[in-house]
Amino acid sequence: MSFREQSAWAMMAILTVGGLWYFNKVRAASVALGETAPPIMPFVIAYIVLIVIASIVAMSVLGMASPEAANAPADERERQADSRAGDLSGYVLGAGVIIGLLHYPLHMDGNMLYHIGFASLMLSQIAEYGLRIWYYRTGS
Amino acid sequence: MAKRPPITNRVRELREAHDQMSQSALAKAIGVTRQTVIAIERGKYSPSLESAFRIARVFGVGLEDVFGWEGD
Repeated sequence: MSFREQSAWAMMAILTVGGLWYFNKVRAASVALGETAPPIMPFVIAYIVLIVIASIVAMSVLGMASPEAANAPADERERQADSRAGDLSGYVLGAGVIIGLLHYPLHMDGNMLYHIGFASLMLSQIAEYGLRIWYYRTGS
Repeated sequence: MAKRPPITNRVRELREAHDQMSQSALAKAIGVTRQTVIAIERGKYSPSLESAFRIARVFGVGLEDVFGWEGD
């Protein structure tokens, strides 16, 4: 497995675990309130800080395991895979935004609009790493 | 599943004919990762024209001695 594929697996795992943790907190807060919880900034900040720290740790560990590969630029196949994955993940973000925009006029729930937007951002990032892995494995 | 490109190649055969050159050594010689050489050998990825020329030059042969069109 190449360094970039290992990195993609690590980032996908970090983002998935972080996203599940965050939305579990939002769900619990919404249940307690009996309505959609507003954006909980301490959790948003904690999520971002945890993602950044976990990413730095993961990349450092992977980089130390194979420093030459870590320092090498992406080759032509990897660049092509990254580009395709980025293109397609944009559709995930776009779909989420459209869902949020359709949901808002029907329910007038600004909190839900925020959560849908945040979830779309997370899902598009997870999709991007997943698609990178797919393209790395299928030859791009 | 990604569609296989209709391009055939003799990279593995040529590599083995060159003192069992490793995939890593060929990758280093042409400036790609070993995984890319593996993808090329398996026919999953068609290299750029530049990399195709680099591969041919490593083996000291012409481009058409390395790559061909499926069915030709």
